[in-house]
Amino acid sequence: MAKKKEQFKVIVDKLAELKDTSELMIDLAYSSLLLNNRHLAEEVQALEEHMDELHTKFEQLVLSSGFKPEESKDFLGLIRLGVTTEQIADAGAEIAEVVLRGLTPHPILKLAIEEAEETVTRVQISPQSSLVGKTLRQAQIHEETGMWILAIRRGNVWLRPKPNTIINQGDVLIASGYAEGEEDLEKLSSPNE
Amino acid sequence: MVCYCGDFHPHWSVLRHMVKLEKIEYKPIPVRDLLVEIKDLSELMIDLAYSAALFDSKELAEEVLELEERVDTLAYLIDMNVMIAVRDAQDAELLLAASIVASAADKISDAAADIATIVLQNIGIHPIVRQAFEKVEEHLIRAKIESNSILVGTLLDELELAARIGVDIIAIRRNKEWIINPKEREKLEEGDVLIARGAPHGIDELKGLAEGTIRKLED
Repeated sequence: MAKKKEQFKVIVDKLAELKDTSELMIDLAYSSLLLNNRHLAEEVQALEEHMDELHTKFEQLVLSSGFKPEESKDFLGLIRLGVTTEQIADAGAEIAEVVLRGLTPHPILKLAIEEAEETVTRVQISPQSSLVGKTLRQAQIHEETGMWILAIRRGNVWLRPKPNTIINQGDVLIASGYAEGEEDLEKLSSPNE
Repeated sequence: MVCYCGDFHPHWSVLRHMVKLEKIEYKPIPVRDLLVEIKDLSELMIDLAYSAALFDSKELAEEVLELEERVDTLAYLIDMNVMIAVRDAQDAELLLAASIVASAADKISDAAADIATIVLQNIGIHPIVRQAFEKVEEHLIRAKIESNSILVGTLLDELELAARIGVDIIAIRRNKEWIINPKEREKLEEGDVLIARGAPHGIDELKGLAEGTIRKLED
């Protein structure tokens, strides 16, 4: 039973990664479109390849978990959920492709509130930052700086910002907003520089 | 949508016919407005669909199917408006992106509906997997505001739900209309369906408040 629990933990972790990556891709894909930002679009494409690998690993894990016939229905649900994460990721890649092919200069794609002076910025969290150890909800970054956090990069892993995501020292925050907010965000993340 | 014919989905035909397919008539709406809406709705659908699957919530799954219908309509309207706006080759190049984005948003919505279907057909997700997710994920719920709820007639910012009970309202459904990321001055009405995210304790409290079983908001 302990072994089985361990096995499940691996499957769950992989599924969580698939889910989070697919959600992050959609966030970044729409942002790349709104901001006409190739850099973000390229990240989406890179994540799509990562998704393909993750999905294969996930399916292998599920299929090799040695489930009993009466459990097959539960495992079918897992497999199908995996397939849909992949479909969502593909749709994200299609949106990013629009940006990479240079199809976006049309004003129609500058959706609503988004304005030309809006920028994408990245800041790294220094050890002295007051943000270290806070959740995004506690950090109130948008209220303080006007910037929206699009994604967090921790080492090689991309995280999708959630209210209860804890900010670590060394995290790179990718944020969008007006140029004025950029400086405020930099001060928050590395106060001594 | 793929149909894996088997014994697991006796309700399949019911589900497919739950949505009566109606003719979608052309309406002159700016493509930009339609794109904003299809973007917001497709994002909300992913959120709802994953939560429906991980927490085995039929209520959330039903909302996903509700949204799918609207996204289908929007995708049609975007294409129709794009077709009408194109007068020459240059227009075609410029507006192609709108059409591609609409189609991608529609795919996202279809995938989310597939997830909802997994939940509604009782295929389900292994209980151990659900238990694991319950620990790491914030919960999403649907709560309908009943006539005797103290929420009726209040403004969102008066309630300070985020500060008081750690809950964010991410969408409100009012009949067929969806209000995504509602503004602070949004007034809540009887019959509103709230989609909210937060810690388990907070969302239980919100549900109680909406249903009128809790009559006072904690400070």
